[in-house]
Amino acid sequence: MLTKENLLNFSHKNNESSWLTDLRIKSFERLEELDYPKMQRFSYQDWPLIKKEDFSWSNQADFSLKEEQKLLEKKGIILTDIFTASKKYPELVQSTLGSVIKHNEDKLTAYHYAYLNSGLFLYIPKDIILTEPITISLSPTQDTYISHLLIVADNNSKVKFLEEIQDKEKKASSASLMVELIARPGSHIEFSSLDELSQDTTLYFNRRAKIEKDAHVEWAIAFMNDCNTLGDLDSELVGEGSFADSKAIAVTTANQKVGINNRVTNRGPHSTGLINQRGVLLENSRLIFNGIGQIVHGAHGSKADQQNRVLMMSDEAHGDANPLLLIDENDVIAAHAASVGPVDKVQMNYLMSRGIPYDQAQRLVIRGFLGAVLDAIPNKDVRRKMIDILERKLIDGQIKH
Amino acid sequence: MATLEIKDLHVEVEDKDKKSKKKILKGVNLSLKTGEIHAIMGPNGTGKSTLSETIMGNPRYHVTQGDILLNNESIVEMPVDERARKGLFLAMQYPAEVPGVTNAEFLRAAINACRPKDDPISVMTFLNELDKNLDLLDMNEAMTERYLNEGFSGGEKKRNEILQMLMIKPSFGILDEIDSGLDIDALRVVSRGVNAMRGDKFGALMITHYQRLLDYIVPDVVHVMMDGRVVKDGGPDLAKKLEQEGYAGLRDELGLDIKLVDEN
Ligand SMILES: Nc1ncnc2c1ncn2[C@@H]1O[C@H](COP(=O)(O)OP(=O)(O)O)[C@@H](O)[C@H]1O
Ligand SMILES: [Mg+2]
Repeated sequence: MLTKENLLNFSHKNNESSWLTDLRIKSFERLEELDYPKMQRFSYQDWPLIKKEDFSWSNQADFSLKEEQKLLEKKGIILTDIFTASKKYPELVQSTLGSVIKHNEDKLTAYHYAYLNSGLFLYIPKDIILTEPITISLSPTQDTYISHLLIVADNNSKVKFLEEIQDKEKKASSASLMVELIARPGSHIEFSSLDELSQDTTLYFNRRAKIEKDAHVEWAIAFMNDCNTLGDLDSELVGEGSFADSKAIAVTTANQKVGINNRVTNRGPHSTGLINQRGVLLENSRLIFNGIGQIVHGAHGSKADQQNRVLMMSDEAHGDANPLLLIDENDVIAAHAASVGPVDKVQMNYLMSRGIPYDQAQRLVIRGFLGAVLDAIPNKDVRRKMIDILERKLIDGQIKH
Repeated sequence: MATLEIKDLHVEVEDKDKKSKKKILKGVNLSLKTGEIHAIMGPNGTGKSTLSETIMGNPRYHVTQGDILLNNESIVEMPVDERARKGLFLAMQYPAEVPGVTNAEFLRAAINACRPKDDPISVMTFLNELDKNLDLLDMNEAMTERYLNEGFSGGEKKRNEILQMLMIKPSFGILDEIDSGLDIDALRVVSRGVNAMRGDKFGALMITHYQRLLDYIVPDVVHVMMDGRVVKDGGPDLAKKLEQEGYAGLRDELGLDIKLVDEN
């Protein structure tokens, strides 16, 4: 059983801010009663996402900074692990941590805030424009890996953030990865992620942006994990004229099960929410991509558009690209397109007519299919890495002719 | 010397909507050697693109009778990529766009597909060839880093087809309406590319609706196709005559009972 005593015991050992311990306890107290989040047509309740017995854990940084990243401090930028930040900048962190994704939304958010043990805090001050992307490589710190990225872009600032998550050295049996983005008025955040966790783990993620007036957020997430995965990618367009472009790709292999909600909610008037999801399914895998575009009453003059497409590379795979549009306002433009199908035959024939063999041609066509996210990754090496992972997955999973 | 022979070729295509089969080629005979340039002319809807796609091996077209021989070997059962590696090239009327794959990467993959696995083309050789051919075709170097045909104009696509042909160096190039949609300057450039390949290691089958192209790339032999068959062979004069008399004139002269698509 999980006990409060044990949780308190480890919190004290970590010598952390008392408000953080309070947040843990508050979350823990809700854990039992809250339900698992629902995912249409996807059952995962038997996954080992929540430990049944007390376990030991400690607060640790799950990344290390490069020398030039330490210099960002001179511009007033804060980039440090979340525990250091919570002590050095208590007001800033306390007022923002858990403000976008609440601790009491469901069982998995409560568990996350109760046992949080890794993470990063990034603050970009007003009017600071960073042209170079901030690139961080994250890896599990312990068997139950619970990491929280909190990024605050203050008014009219601009930042590109790129994370890579891999477990080549140390593996976790479960991972809970959260990202909270706060895009203050007029700010601009491009967040990209290359997730490549191995099949030894089980992943829950929740990545959400709160987008204020005239702010702009672009997600480009590559789910290249080998593990079972469940989660939400979420954009809350709260401000007038706010903008979100939520791009996600997933490649699933073997017996992998992946369920992803990609949700954009237009709350502010004249806001724009775009969803573009692409999935490639190999072998016996299962992938659900729910695209959820919601326009709430009052968000007049808003726009929602989504594309959900999955490629089935095997008869044994199961894929769904479900577009959901929930509209409570008249004066809006909303559209969606969804498809489940095979690789484009015309493109295949063209590449092969130049002598390129079937399997290689197929991999090239698939790369193009996933191009929207690939192109958005702001670093050539990481792009190359993503292409390599993709090649490996496709070669392993391709049906031999 | 390489040879390409089309023998009594009959081809059907499955109609997607009607789920029925449609006979398009009804016994085509042709014989090509490297060192020769042949032109095929014919009215729209006659089966010229069908012939070129079938030679190349597009799986949508089904050979129901006859044979295609490349260097005396039947290729009708071969997949398209294998035909390409054996020396066939089709410059398509409507080249596909493939995002995510740059022109340069694609060209290199195509060249290496014809070479042994452990002997890919060296970067230097590749870049030198590429530069030379880009120059020849008045193409901008930036084109090579763009995604394959994506967002290319009609004219850029045609040039890109010829660039590929120059780089891959096939024994036979089939050029399907390489002139369509080109202005005179672009037509000159494209023709310069094709003429640069002329020689005893290269043969071409140029498909065109108009005689104009043949002023720039002068053929050795001209074939006229109507209603799925070659109805007349001749020299460059035949093309000129067609230009004056039109396809209907030739049809009537040959006493054929064919309705032309463009005829009212
Ligand atoms: N893929 C196809 N599916 C169905 N009909 C086709 C297809 N390709 C060609 N056809 C039909 O076959 C005939 C010949 O077409 P095509 O070979 O394109 O002629 P051309 O190139 O001489 O204009 C036309 O009636 C055309 O509509
Ligand atoms: Mg044609």
